[in-house]
Order: sequence, then structure tokens, then C-alpha cells
Amino acid sequence: MASSGFLETAQSVVDRAIQRNLKGLGYLASPAPVLGASAKDVIVSRGPMRLYHYHPLTDEVYRVPVLLVMATTNRGYIFDMVPGQSMVEFLLQRGYDVFMLDWEAPRPEDRNLALKDYVLDFVGSAVAEVRRVTGEHDVSLVGYCMGGVLSVMWSGANHSDGPKNLATFTTPVDFKQMKLFQAWSDQRYFDVDRLVDTLGLAPADMLLTAFDMLRPAGRASANFALYDNLWNEDFVKGHRMFERWTNDMLPLAGEYFRETIKLLTWENRLLEGTLKIGGKAVELDKISCPFLHITAEHDHIVTTEASAPLIDLIGSEDKEQVVLKGGHVSLIAGPNAVRRMWPMLDKWLGGRSV
Amino acid sequence: MSEPAKNLDPFELARSWMAQWEKVVNEHGTEMLARPEAAQAMQAVSGAALQAQALSNDATGRMLAAANLPSRADFEALGARLAGVEAALSRIEAKLNAVAPGQDPARPAVRRTRKPPA
Repeated sequence: MASSGFLETAQSVVDRAIQRNLKGLGYLASPAPVLGASAKDVIVSRGPMRLYHYHPLTDEVYRVPVLLVMATTNRGYIFDMVPGQSMVEFLLQRGYDVFMLDWEAPRPEDRNLALKDYVLDFVGSAVAEVRRVTGEHDVSLVGYCMGGVLSVMWSGANHSDGPKNLATFTTPVDFKQMKLFQAWSDQRYFDVDRLVDTLGLAPADMLLTAFDMLRPAGRASANFALYDNLWNEDFVKGHRMFERWTNDMLPLAGEYFRETIKLLTWENRLLEGTLKIGGKAVELDKISCPFLHITAEHDHIVTTEASAPLIDLIGSEDKEQVVLKGGHVSLIAGPNAVRRMWPMLDKWLGGRSV
Repeated sequence: MSEPAKNLDPFELARSWMAQWEKVVNEHGTEMLARPEAAQAMQAVSGAALQAQALSNDATGRMLAAANLPSRADFEALGARLAGVEAALSRIEAKLNAVAPGQDPARPAVRRTRKPPA
């Protein structure tokens, strides 16, 4: 018995070693996966702002359209990876009319775009455009990470004419709890004015390095896991998609970066309730629409301490905070998201979208 | 492909070592990077790089001006003017759409009457 078990294991190990080498060669030679391919129209393209309208997949949709707001540091195709692993496709199949506010890299002449441009202009005009295209005044706003911060800010500055529903994923509000970012932007050593005045934009590679340093061993262990799993096509496919997305980071407009550091990271104004954007007070306690706040249990970028206080700051009576298993990215994309977060969002939104 | 028994799989040792290494490096690495000295050192390096970049920008600008060639700032100004034209066109397009909203004939309008499943 023992020797037959040993032989089986040895055969399996040898099989995997062969597959690793064969598929490893295929991996190096194969083209990058096509991501973000759901059919859509680009209905606004202005500066770094892109507004997409996805083609509905059902004849009958919910009355209230959904506007996804992407984080400003990354591309929106994390919401639309490949068929079967696309939150956009999932929502379309469930009968939602889906829009996305996505970002392109700001150009040097966009250096002066500030928080007010992102919140009042880009989010504001995206909501206005969704209202115009659908003929519906009600819109559900769904923001991811910094996209959630922008959505919350816009809702707090426009509470009398805000969204019908507001949902945020891994959205920070207490920036003092983002300990490493706090340490690296220590006012005694970090001269944000000098950086912005010299470079104009906050470079993407600087931001990527900062995110990488949150888990110094992350890249090496991901490469080891890739080699270990080269025999497994699903693993390799998933690895390639996420690796491409992670590395596809965007630079940030200088003024926007400067204000994010000063007003949020240093002065924590969103938490303190003292934030004004373009002269408008951001009053989170006056947001009264249904609110869903989803955080990830193992989020190493936006920790629970940084995101959890948001639920108490929002004035809505119909509000709910849910902590799901997963990390900052696996919460919204990948096999865990397919099983956990997407069905939860559908259940919450469906009843509130008629 | 069948799963190799864990205690006989030679890769299992490497996996276990890697998991421990990752845990230690992440824990101690982030602890070290959170120290003020680390932040000070990082900012000193990036400050020197910024200084070099500023000097290089300045020198390149002077060289281009001497050769009567447009500088980066000139191109940025041109880009800004083009962006202004694009923005004006977008506003005109939006106004035209508002006056005569068009429906793509290839995609019929959807009914907005869906109800959640009971």
C-alpha cells in the first residue's frame, strides 16, 4: 500500500514538473489576455475622464441605472476582466443598466486638476450624463477605493440632489489609520509641493512602488506561486489578469495628489467633517440615501480601521456595513468575488432599484 | 491530474519555507519601513532625484530656447489649448444631443420595468 502511494505521488510530481515546463514555455509565448471587453459606448471622453455605457444584456432592466466609479490610480477593467469573471457582465445579466466612470492617465496639461474637478466636475457630470441618457433622475452610485471616496464626497456635497443609492467598496475615511502611507508622507520629510511643482504629475511608478512596499515580499511570493502552479491553467490565467491590472497603474494629476496628501492624509478632513470642495461643504451626516459599505477582512491597503468609521459618519437610516473575506482586490474580482460580493451587491441593489 | 500527497510532495517543503519567509519579510519589512528613519531616508533619495530633475529641466529648457526650439512647457501649453477645443466640442455635442437625442437603431430601447426576483 505504502509503496503504491509513493509511486502515485512520484508520478503526479513528475507530471506536474513536465506540465510546469511545457506550460511555462506557452506562458512566455502567449499574448496578454484581452480584458475589459464587454460591449460598451464611450459616451464622455474629456481629460482623464471616460464614461462608459455598457450594452444591456436583457430586454428589461431595473428603472435605476448603476454608475460604477473607479479608483483614480487604476484602470476600470478590474470590474470587467473576462467573461465569467466580470462584475459588469454579472450586473448586466442580472438586469442592471450599467455605466462606469473610468480614468485615463492625465496628461502634463492636466496637472492643475484638483479634487474639486474630480468630485464636482467628473463625478457630477457623469451623474448628469447618466440621468440624461436614461431619462431617469435616480442613479445608484457604486465606488471602489478612491472611487468610493469621490462618490462619498460628491454625495456629501450634493446631499439635496444626490444618488438614489450609494455603495462603497474598500473605501477609506480615517486616513490616520493608513499607517504606512502616514509614515511615508510624514510632513517633516515629505515635500509634496516640491514633488508636484517639479514633476507636474505624481508618477505611476512612484505610486506602484508605494503599493508594493505595503507587502515587501508580495512580488517574490506571487512569482513563486506562479511557478508552483504553472501546470494549472486557471491559476495562470488569473495570475496574468491580475498582474497586468496591478502593474497598469495611472499617474495622478499633481494638484489632486497635493490636495489628497494635505487635506486627507495630513489633516484627515473627511473624517473630521471639515472638508470643503470648491467652496461646498462635504456633509456626510446629511447623506440620507440607502448606503452599503463593504470592506475586506484582509485588506492590506485600506485596513478595516481606516474604512470602518465611514458607516457612522453617513446620516442615512437605511445603512449597512459588511466585512467580507478577501483582500483589497479579491473583494471585487476573482473567484471569491463571484461567490461572495457580487451576489450580495445584487441582492442589496435589486430591491432598491425599482 | 491527481493531487500529490502533501507529506511526499517535494514542493511542499518549498511552499512551507516560502510562506514563512513571506510572513517574516512582510512583518519585519513593514515594521522597518514605518520607522521615521526609513521615511527620512526615502524622502532624502527622492528629494535628490527631484533636485536633479529640476536642474535637468532647467538646463534643457535653456538649451531648447537657445536653439529656438519649442520646450516641454510650449508643448504642454499647446496640449492645454487642444484640450480646451476638445472640451468645447464635447459641450456642443452634449447640447446637440440634448436638443435631438438619438437612439441607436441597432439597439432597441430597453424597458425599465424590471423587478427583483421574489
